[in-house]
Amino acid sequence: MTTTALKKAAIPTRRAYSARMAEYGAIDSDFAVMDADIGYSTYSYLFGDKYPGRYFNMGIAEVNMFACAAGFAANGRTVIAGSYGVFITMRAVEVIRSFICYPNLNVKILSSHGGLTAAIDGVTHQATEDIATMSTIPNMKVLVPADPVAAGKLFDVSFTSPGPVFTRLMRDPYYEIYDDSASFVLGGSNTLREGSDITIVSYGDMVFQAVAAAEELARSGISAEVIDAYSIKPYDAETILQSIRKTGALLVAENHQRKNGLGYELGILSLREFPVPFDNLGLRDMFAESGDYYKLLEKYGLSSSWINKAATALVARKEQNNA
Amino acid sequence: MNQVLTSDREARLLKLRQMAQQVRFHVVDMVHHVQSGHIGGSLSAAEILTALYFDIMNIDPDNPKRPDRDRMLMSKGHACPVLYASLALRGFFPVEELRTLRQFESRLQGHPVIKTPGVDMTTGSLGIGFGVAVGMAMEAKLSGASYNVYALLGDGELNEGVVWEAASAAQKYRLDNLVAIIDRNNLQNDGVSDTIMPMEPIDRKFEAFNWEVRRINGHDMQQVLQTLEEARDFRGKPFCIVADTVKGKGVSFMENQRSWHGSPPNDEQYRQAVSEIQGALV
Repeated sequence: MTTTALKKAAIPTRRAYSARMAEYGAIDSDFAVMDADIGYSTYSYLFGDKYPGRYFNMGIAEVNMFACAAGFAANGRTVIAGSYGVFITMRAVEVIRSFICYPNLNVKILSSHGGLTAAIDGVTHQATEDIATMSTIPNMKVLVPADPVAAGKLFDVSFTSPGPVFTRLMRDPYYEIYDDSASFVLGGSNTLREGSDITIVSYGDMVFQAVAAAEELARSGISAEVIDAYSIKPYDAETILQSIRKTGALLVAENHQRKNGLGYELGILSLREFPVPFDNLGLRDMFAESGDYYKLLEKYGLSSSWINKAATALVARKEQNNA
Repeated sequence: MNQVLTSDREARLLKLRQMAQQVRFHVVDMVHHVQSGHIGGSLSAAEILTALYFDIMNIDPDNPKRPDRDRMLMSKGHACPVLYASLALRGFFPVEELRTLRQFESRLQGHPVIKTPGVDMTTGSLGIGFGVAVGMAMEAKLSGASYNVYALLGDGELNEGVVWEAASAAQKYRLDNLVAIIDRNNLQNDGVSDTIMPMEPIDRKFEAFNWEVRRINGHDMQQVLQTLEEARDFRGKPFCIVADTVKGKGVSFMENQRSWHGSPPNDEQYRQAVSEIQGALV
């Protein structure tokens, strides 16, 4: 992947989220933090070191951690509970559904190792179905920051939005997308690049892949609009519809299974409201493997070059339809 | 003086025994009326819940969410008929409402939900309610609150691994404001608990998890009350009461029968059950 526009990020989003959480401890003296013995990986220890009295390492026991978090929240105390995405969204999903989402409790979920960003850890640690499971549960909100600035700001959005909020974070640092002036709201999105030929919607690490692809596309004369859909649920239907009414084509690129991800959601939105040539990139009903993140994205069809190819094909289809 | 105290206690016990039979009546009545609900595991817990709601717990039916109230987690949530009967008789909602159990738009859902007056938390998926109780007790410690958290578990529920995750956390945080009561009726959905997944020695298991443990007859109101009093005031460790009980207790043809886990009585069985329960009141 090559991009001229973006600077390398110094820290991963998991660290940025936890750093803001540690800062937030001074703003709100009430909330508690729980971790399932990976505090040095989620960086929740940054909070624990400052506020040991309200930091709880619940051991390697995610199901009980979320049950205890529900107990705190049922008593009226907000909890931020962290672990890896696979363990949160699969092992503990029933607790999250029936004991946190159903009673609509203030449990905020710090979910690291989203998608193939857990690259070298292998499939057991790569959360590639997390958006599907979390988005499907009533009352749950789902956020995915694309870079460290977004992670810090989305911590605040998560904390101040009532009820459960799931935030997907990345294992490794990639690129900087935002400066400190960027703003984020629940249900919002950010249009990073305006264009007229095609709308590319992505989230998380795929945002910089989309930005890189848009630069490439520009060189071949295709003007791509790039939207960071950092709020997956609720998502910013208004901005996305406005964009596809203008461009007439929609490509969704996500580091997730194609099935039941944001692509499915926006494909249906488009079908319902304003049908346009559509495609979505994601894992094609398959598991990946261990390895370098960039090589995995290339092999499994998610890199900027794949976005470029898919966008080019969609624009050709659109022009054929118009001819 | 001692004699007065003794007779006070006798009067309390008599009232509680009578109340437990009223609870039993309403369990059978609501399940019969709506022809659905878990009757066997409700009847086995009648003395335990009666002692909790009518004596041990600090609660206020006029202010069900009072912050300093004691909490009760019905971790064996399917046995909610006994919870609903106790709450209604204690004044949290009208007794007439019991016959809306599991019905469309009723506040008395098939498994307990937090919005029902007197219900402290949504439960029903086995094992998790116990973890929630541990979280509530941890939170109470963090808040410096002095109330207790009680959790009622079935013995079959102990099959769930999360029970032992929660038991570990409770001893780590020295939750002496937490009391777990195991309704040890030795029957679960498919049959005898001891053969489906042997969990004994239950008392020694909790001891090994560094809990304070008592084993009692869960239908002897004097033992139930005395042990709950001890547990309420005990400090230093979480407290577990293994209550040996009989599934279907109080209705002869339901006792120790697997088939009464989740089936309702017909009209004739209902009449017989009610006459046995009312007979025991005298």
